[in-house]
Amino acid sequence: MAKYQVSKSIDVRGEVCPIPDVETKRALKDMKPGEILEVWIDYPLSKERIPETVKKLGHEVLEIEEVGKSEWKIYIKVK
Amino acid sequence: MIWTGLLIGIIFGVILQRGRICFNSAFRDVLIFKDNYLMKLAALAIALQSITLLLFAQMGVIKLAPMPLNWVGNIVGGYIFGLGMVLAGGCASGVTYRIGEGMTTSWLAGLIFGLTAQATSSGLFSNWRKWLTNFSVTVTPNSTVYAPKVGPSLATIFNVNPWIVTLIFAAILLWYAFGTKTSQRETKLNWIWAAILIAILQPIAWWASAATGRNYGLGITGGWTNILSVYTTNKQVNWIGAEVLGIIIGAMISAIAAKEFKLRMPKDPKTYLQVMVGGALMGFGAVTAGGCNIGHFLTGVPTLAISSILTSIFFILGNWTMAWLLFGRER
Repeated sequence: MAKYQVSKSIDVRGEVCPIPDVETKRALKDMKPGEILEVWIDYPLSKERIPETVKKLGHEVLEIEEVGKSEWKIYIKVK
Repeated sequence: MIWTGLLIGIIFGVILQRGRICFNSAFRDVLIFKDNYLMKLAALAIALQSITLLLFAQMGVIKLAPMPLNWVGNIVGGYIFGLGMVLAGGCASGVTYRIGEGMTTSWLAGLIFGLTAQATSSGLFSNWRKWLTNFSVTVTPNSTVYAPKVGPSLATIFNVNPWIVTLIFAAILLWYAFGTKTSQRETKLNWIWAAILIAILQPIAWWASAATGRNYGLGITGGWTNILSVYTTNKQVNWIGAEVLGIIIGAMISAIAAKEFKLRMPKDPKTYLQVMVGGALMGFGAVTAGGCNIGHFLTGVPTLAISSILTSIFFILGNWTMAWLLFGRER
């Protein structure tokens, strides 16, 4: 079912600010170039913030997929 | 006239929710994420409010009331509040508006914040607060824009016309807001509009609140203690209590309209303990300092109150300390 060859997936739904951002950064640090990280979020602010943080780190945001009511999966390709 | 508090609270709640305005993030992002988006929103809002508040005061519609300076309370309370907001996952206003978005951690943080604020202002810890009043400094101000007896402001300590210091102060903040590079962010209400809306709302809030006998602008802490005393001791709802209820209702309406309302729960229940500790530190800190990030930072700093400027510096230092301990050591 998966859209992408996801190497790692983190579920940060319900976590308080800024855990989703910090966990995303931590996950990306341990990954190799070309791998794809899936971040599962449910807070709209995370949807606005995480892609900007990730781009600043030089990675590529492949897609922000709406997977439910106020739930999204962000796919990030490690550079 | 209590209903004006509810109405203004609802409008403020919508602005906070749409603008994603959280001062915990504003302070922390500058240090941890090198992101100045919300800090700029805060700087611009403060600059514009310093002008709109003084304009209303000049016209005689309101009387500015810088809070009494209290070296001990402002520094100790500010720092403790700053530590607490990181643990609670939001400042006083951030926690309050997130209650309306369905963030269950904020429900608990807000409740413990209010309870501890009440304990510090009139309960178990009230002797501490009484002892602190020994250090309170008030002055007879040099201008009719101020209420008769207020805390010192930049204008009163330099003994100059409030317009002079206000314009210089606003100019510095405007330079920061527009003269430096802004972090990108996709939002429903961008930082410039959010700041303008707050600067319009603030003097109206002050005027409406003063009409009920509370001569001050937007706030959070006093509203929480009021709501809890209404619940536990059947007190009357006052203006600021109605305003806090309004923020929750406004944020909820705004979140539902944007399809952003959801009951959010963390997977690790330990998070609830963390936000409770944070809420308690915030409640104790806010009452010790004489106000939270809204009463002191958003409303007090534009009146150029020394107490609010000092407290805000320690809000930021406390926030940075805890943010660095929790998230900052790996970069």
